[in-house]
Amino acid sequence: MKSFRPFTVILVVGVVVVVAFGQQYAGSVFVLALCYGIVTAGMAVQIGFSQQIVFSQCVFMAFGAYGVAMLNTHLGMASLVATPVVMVAAGLVALLLGAVVTRASGLALAVATLMLPLIATGYISSAGYLGGSVGAPLTGNLWPGSSTQSIAIGNGLVTVVILGLVVLAASRILSSDVGLELYVLGVDEPTAAAMGVRTPRRRLELFVLGSVFAALGGAVYAGTQLFVPATLASPTAELALLMMLFVGGRRSVLGAVAGAVAIQYLSGASNWVSVNILIVEGVLLTAILLIDPDGLAGITRSLATRLRPRSAVAPPTPSVSSAPPALFTPSALPSPHEEDRVLLECDEVSKEYGGLTVLDDVTLTLPPRGLFGLCGPNGAGKSTLLGIIGGSVPAARGRILLDGEDVTRLPPQQRFGLGVSRTFQAVHLIGGRTVLDNVAVACLTSHRSGLVTRLFRSELAAARQRAAQTLDRLGMTALSGRDVSSLTLESQRMVELARAVAPGPRLLLLDEPASGLSDAERRRLGELLTELAGLTCVLLVEHDLDLVAQISQRIFVLAGGRLVFDGGPADFRTSPVVNSLLVGL
Amino acid sequence: MKFGQLVIAGLVTGSIYAVFAVCVSVWYRVSNILNLAVGDFAMLGALGVDDLVRVRNWPLPAAIAVTLVTVAAFGYLYDRVVLHLAQDGRRVHEGIVITFFFTFALSFFIDGVAKVLFGTDVHAAPALWSGRSLSLLSGLHVERAGLLVLACAVICGSMFWLYIRYTLGGKAMEASGENALGARIVGIDTRRYRRIIFTGTAVLAAVFGIIESPITGYTYLSGATISLTGFIAAAYGGFRQPGRALVAGLVIGVTEALLGGYVSAEYGDTVLYAILAALVLAWPRGLGFEAAVGG
Amino acid sequence: MSTETPALAVTGLSVAYGAMVAVHDATFALAPGEACAITGPNGNGKSSILMGLAGLVRRRPGDVRIFGARAPSGDVRWAARHGLTLVPERRQLYPGLSASDNIVLGCYSWTSSLAKARRSAPFGMALELFPEIRPHLGQPAGTLSGGQQQMVAIMRGLASDPKILAVDEPCLGLAEAVSRRVYAALARIHEAGTTLIVVEEAPKRALVICARRVEVRNGVATWAGEP
Repeated sequence: MKSFRPFTVILVVGVVVVVAFGQQYAGSVFVLALCYGIVTAGMAVQIGFSQQIVFSQCVFMAFGAYGVAMLNTHLGMASLVATPVVMVAAGLVALLLGAVVTRASGLALAVATLMLPLIATGYISSAGYLGGSVGAPLTGNLWPGSSTQSIAIGNGLVTVVILGLVVLAASRILSSDVGLELYVLGVDEPTAAAMGVRTPRRRLELFVLGSVFAALGGAVYAGTQLFVPATLASPTAELALLMMLFVGGRRSVLGAVAGAVAIQYLSGASNWVSVNILIVEGVLLTAILLIDPDGLAGITRSLATRLRPRSAVAPPTPSVSSAPPALFTPSALPSPHEEDRVLLECDEVSKEYGGLTVLDDVTLTLPPRGLFGLCGPNGAGKSTLLGIIGGSVPAARGRILLDGEDVTRLPPQQRFGLGVSRTFQAVHLIGGRTVLDNVAVACLTSHRSGLVTRLFRSELAAARQRAAQTLDRLGMTALSGRDVSSLTLESQRMVELARAVAPGPRLLLLDEPASGLSDAERRRLGELLTELAGLTCVLLVEHDLDLVAQISQRIFVLAGGRLVFDGGPADFRTSPVVNSLLVGL
Repeated sequence: MKFGQLVIAGLVTGSIYAVFAVCVSVWYRVSNILNLAVGDFAMLGALGVDDLVRVRNWPLPAAIAVTLVTVAAFGYLYDRVVLHLAQDGRRVHEGIVITFFFTFALSFFIDGVAKVLFGTDVHAAPALWSGRSLSLLSGLHVERAGLLVLACAVICGSMFWLYIRYTLGGKAMEASGENALGARIVGIDTRRYRRIIFTGTAVLAAVFGIIESPITGYTYLSGATISLTGFIAAAYGGFRQPGRALVAGLVIGVTEALLGGYVSAEYGDTVLYAILAALVLAWPRGLGFEAAVGG
Repeated sequence: MSTETPALAVTGLSVAYGAMVAVHDATFALAPGEACAITGPNGNGKSSILMGLAGLVRRRPGDVRIFGARAPSGDVRWAARHGLTLVPERRQLYPGLSASDNIVLGCYSWTSSLAKARRSAPFGMALELFPEIRPHLGQPAGTLSGGQQQMVAIMRGLASDPKILAVDEPCLGLAEAVSRRVYAALARIHEAGTTLIVVEEAPKRALVICARRVEVRNGVATWAGEP
């Protein structure tokens, strides 16, 4: 299985090197590098995929190292026993700290965590019991052996095994369904939220994961080096870790480890290099970033694809059935009194942006099935209304009720869970992934599952299957394996539509899906929307009045934030209000 | 009066932070790159002049001129070679994650070169305005160098503000940062502006390093600390508003001095960083942070 | 066809993005003061032709002459300074700058003085093009609605005092009433003597002001018959 490959590589290479060179200098450098590798592997998950830069890993590494040192020196605990204790403690601290820190994101998060190494160093250098600005020694080896020989090799083997397990855990998480969630989270957080990803929770989980791995790396460091220098928590140490991560490959767990090994060997390679290490590292990092921002791992991958002939990625074949199935099974069967049932109710919804009234007391209701148009001049508030219904925009006043339930305060993730799905004016697909994966994002069922559970279970295949079915029904199977950034605008819009439709929503919000399409493409879209109208409730924002009048059962018109028309297509065509507003006569 | 003296000392160090914060801010605003090497250029300025004057016995004006020209040339070359390859080539590197790390690598490189050229001791450029500290009203003293830094900071800040506000070139520079494609369409040479700003901030940082170093003294590693504090102060301006970055730098300097004087000399800095971190977390939008950073 | 120098003479224009060829061998010419529409299905090369003309992408091989002067490939500034201004697809405004600043930057191609730009005739004419923008001039362009942004983009184009104005999909995402105003403005610009090229996927609108049409399909451009 693919996720086991890095684990196997680490074990095989690691054991060979340790057994062969364990007692020499080269071997000890290797073990030191692996300690850093444990930390950088965690960073690859935390930073590489979520793209949230945090500067706290050196602090947790120091926490782990000092923790083991203190437990060993003051309580006589063996290093190997102290390690899990320290990991649990780090997990708790990370949970508390993370709950506060991850409320911020992006630059704010980076700056906030940038303070942590400074705070930690300041504290450590003045704390006598930790050995002040020098450091803390300890006597407990990771591998409690008797001879120097067995200690050196034992330490090395334990380190290799620990690193292997860390890499295995990271790989399994990244290749699971939550891994796809994390990828989307890193590239486009608002879209991730609209697709149901519990973004605050995931960010906290990533923070804790990265911190625990960093602490583990520190613990192993203490147990193998027998001395914890005070500089371990400094900003310089953090920058060194980042250097290792970027040289090796920020998106690759194995690459991150390779980076740590490369940098450590580089530092000890020759006297000249070790004296001028700063110059060498500066040039190395610049060169690597210029060649491939994904570091050595990226370079290796590019070479591999160029040498190996490309084999087409076959999309999973959807189940064959006699008649073309419906796009999805509607969540509830149509009932005789359907027109009386209300699915969506907007009750006096209002919104202001800096003094400008964008929506003013908008009230409308929608039944569980049908196609409804929302039109109006530019700046009338149509997209804002969709945003409020979808949850990405908070309403200033008013309520949104879904099936009688007040959802006004619910975040977009939970509305997605209740069956609300939407597309956006600008295409928000995830570049770098295939069409299939982009649609599969909306079919994931892992939102409520913890990150850790993905070590054992993943339902990515099921999500992809469902996505494949939707694509097949829309006639897009040929596009499944292509990277979305290589598609034309029309195809990208169709993929967005497929993604919105795939989870079988109860309420489908479409924001100008016909924009940029030709006449033939619009006709096809109209047919598709009519079919969808029989399965679910579709609210369509559109400027193409002919299209809207043709396919909608009822049309709403917003102007200046107020609802000025609510009626059928026949009235729509003849209404004087509508004609003056929209056609400009 | 202890309070007053602390405030003045704080304003002096604060104006240094402020200047570097403004450099980071302006640079980011125009090019969308975060320059982590600002402090290292300052260090080069200070140590370069010191080396030429003290070790090779050059006259001060010549030393300053040559150092600044060298820094400018280096900045120009870096832009011409590295930034050009990174941003103008067929593969454009995007995202703060990447561009941040280019200048980070540059910072490492400069520190390494400085270590080779100047050794590891603490040095400082000779004071430009020597003499005892000036006394202000009611027994407060201020270092002359400090006053110079403050004055230069205000002058440079105002000049830049006027440039952006009231000249077409200034608006063009801003446009380059807002939308590079849109800027090129109206004929703006975005690469040239980037080059000017990069070289300009390098030289400016070097100038401030020269002026300020008599107060604190620099080693080859000092650049990193200055860049960091400049980065933090710029963060409080939200990275795009040099005016707010300036104020933030001053406030941080004063707070640092007051904490050190009144709370504890040892833990003063630690408390300061904890406060800064808490502020960012409590109030990211108020401080002007963009909600999320695009990948 | 008159014998004066054509405003725009394109011979064998090709645009490729890596291995993907977007435009093969496009050849056409426009007399000064003409208005021409470039139509065709999306993703077939219409925008690429315009980008190649404006110098935003490199074109090879191909010969583009603006009023007889040979345009170097991939040089946007040259095109802007020789009278060809592009109003790009999706506007490409500067969201943090005010609408007024966005428009005045259109003057960058012919002056470096802010005062001169503000006092100039092209800037004044640009402001008169869409009087409904006047109350919003001080607002950051990013806060304007889609239609208002399109208007500002065209005003910026006009501020550069172009001899040839190339507009790419002027009505993308705009309501009917706004589209009409935009086309009315384009018609006024054309009547004042500017050569006009409009890329449109819905030919009906463009053909109200454009006398000729180039159809682009799969990267190949052909003259379509007079309507």
